[in-house]
Amino acid sequence: MPIFSRISGLVHQIFFAALALLMAFPFYWMVTSALKTNDEIWRSPPTLWPEVPLWGNFAAAWNEAPFARYMGNSIFVAVSIVLLQSINSGMMAYALTHMKFRLKGVFAGVILFGYMVPATAVYLPGYLVLSELHLLNSYAGLILSNCVSIFSIFLIRQAFLQVSHELVEAGEVDGASHMRILWTILVPVTRSSFAVLALITFIDQYNNYFWPMLITKDPSLQLVSAGLRSFFVEGGAYGLKWPLIMAASAFTIAPLLLVFLLAQKTIMQSVNMTAGSSKG
Amino acid sequence: MTRSKLISGLRPVLFTLPAMIPFAVFWLAPLLYVLYLSFTEWDFMSPEKTFVGWENYTDLLSNPAFYKALRVTVLFCLGSVLPVILLGLGLALIMNKKLKGSALYQVLLFSPWVTPTVAVSIVWSWIYQPEAGLANAVLNFFGLDSIGWLQDPKWALTGVLLVTIWKSVGWAMIFYLVALRNVPSDLLEAGELDGASPVQKFLRITWPLISPTTLFLFVVQLVSALQAYDQINVLTQGGPSGSTRTLLYLYYQSAFESFQIGEASSVAVVLVLICMLLSVLSFGISKRTTHYQ
Repeated sequence: MPIFSRISGLVHQIFFAALALLMAFPFYWMVTSALKTNDEIWRSPPTLWPEVPLWGNFAAAWNEAPFARYMGNSIFVAVSIVLLQSINSGMMAYALTHMKFRLKGVFAGVILFGYMVPATAVYLPGYLVLSELHLLNSYAGLILSNCVSIFSIFLIRQAFLQVSHELVEAGEVDGASHMRILWTILVPVTRSSFAVLALITFIDQYNNYFWPMLITKDPSLQLVSAGLRSFFVEGGAYGLKWPLIMAASAFTIAPLLLVFLLAQKTIMQSVNMTAGSSKG
Repeated sequence: MTRSKLISGLRPVLFTLPAMIPFAVFWLAPLLYVLYLSFTEWDFMSPEKTFVGWENYTDLLSNPAFYKALRVTVLFCLGSVLPVILLGLGLALIMNKKLKGSALYQVLLFSPWVTPTVAVSIVWSWIYQPEAGLANAVLNFFGLDSIGWLQDPKWALTGVLLVTIWKSVGWAMIFYLVALRNVPSDLLEAGELDGASPVQKFLRITWPLISPTTLFLFVVQLVSALQAYDQINVLTQGGPSGSTRTLLYLYYQSAFESFQIGEASSVAVVLVLICMLLSVLSFGISKRTTHYQ
């Protein structure tokens, strides 16, 4: 029996190693293609590792389009949205869980309804609304139009529901205001939920493409996905610059892989929480 | 009413405003606006919107392009949601046993989900490249003929689906792993004592207990399949000959490429209705069939 289980363990190992390699292979292909010459990248059958790795391709791609600007835009917009969503989700969730008011049911219903409406379906009228507000082509438009997330509200509401009422009542007895109770009692206790909100929202917003592309025509306002896509279309759909395009994809992806590696635990934990909040 | 009472009555409203104002401006107003636009004819430029009643809807229902997009949408949903759920569950079941290095495998399998769809789709478009792409090199290696992955209407949807599945399968696996770890081991041991086979144990104990996760993944994946845009935009732009044009893509093209605002709005309303119907259905199903611990 031990031999059998050892063999089955080995089979598992090999299976998963092969699978993980297969899944990660597009990333490997991206990086190695970024190091090739144009001739080599077109060679058939393809080479697994470039003859002479051209590390300079990364610098060349970085300088060919304003990628520093694109990535700066993405990070700035994503961080601003994270901050705004944390504030309004915290306040909304507090009202829904710890306050009594008449419209509560209506608000909760409206938000549940919003959950069912796909955001992409209202992009056209959303575009018209932004244009009426003169927010097209502006950071304010990019940030404000994404500053509420129903997922975030659900996530925080779920966390607040699990905080014991005694903690909040103790605060009330001490005469603390609602704001004080929210920011000095509830938020610290539920900080792991806020960390999840921050991570998931940052990833989503950094990766956001369709909506930001629609509402910004000014290249200096483009986020990194749209910038990469225009570099792809202008620079080399005809195979002139594939190595540079692969290099550009690589440094677009890099910050996220880095965030992911540093925050794996929180992200994996988020799975637990989102699965939990979906029950709510 | 006294002043202090008024203030304390208003306070909850003040707490909800930071979320409710943007929600109303950027979600509710557009939703009502798109409904209104779907009853008009407008080209984006002219100052006048002409009210045309149900015309956009009757036009849509008699337009073959609509049915083709509907068909592609259904295929896209089935072709992405079912494999993601089944593969995710299968992987989680295997990985749930004690395995050395499983943390590393999880990170590797999960990483596609974190990365921008546009960037990975560009990488895939290079892999799918007909002459020098990796996908055809692999096929040729096994003695198979090359495929026009994104150029052949027969294969383009498959090409887009593979990227979509690749991106989400690790994500689904992580959800299932968490769910499997929450299945109480004494239940499984009791099943074992009663002489249940592994298959029976899975069907009678594990599967019912992880059903909330299945439902959750199903709904989330379905809604994101209905909204898929980025990978279609990069890989095929709805082509060749409409073989990857989903309802959402049709909506985008008629709104922002041919400026048929009324027609586009009616597609959007249909899309919203489909999503709401699916959500309501899944809530209903979840009440009946899922087991919460």
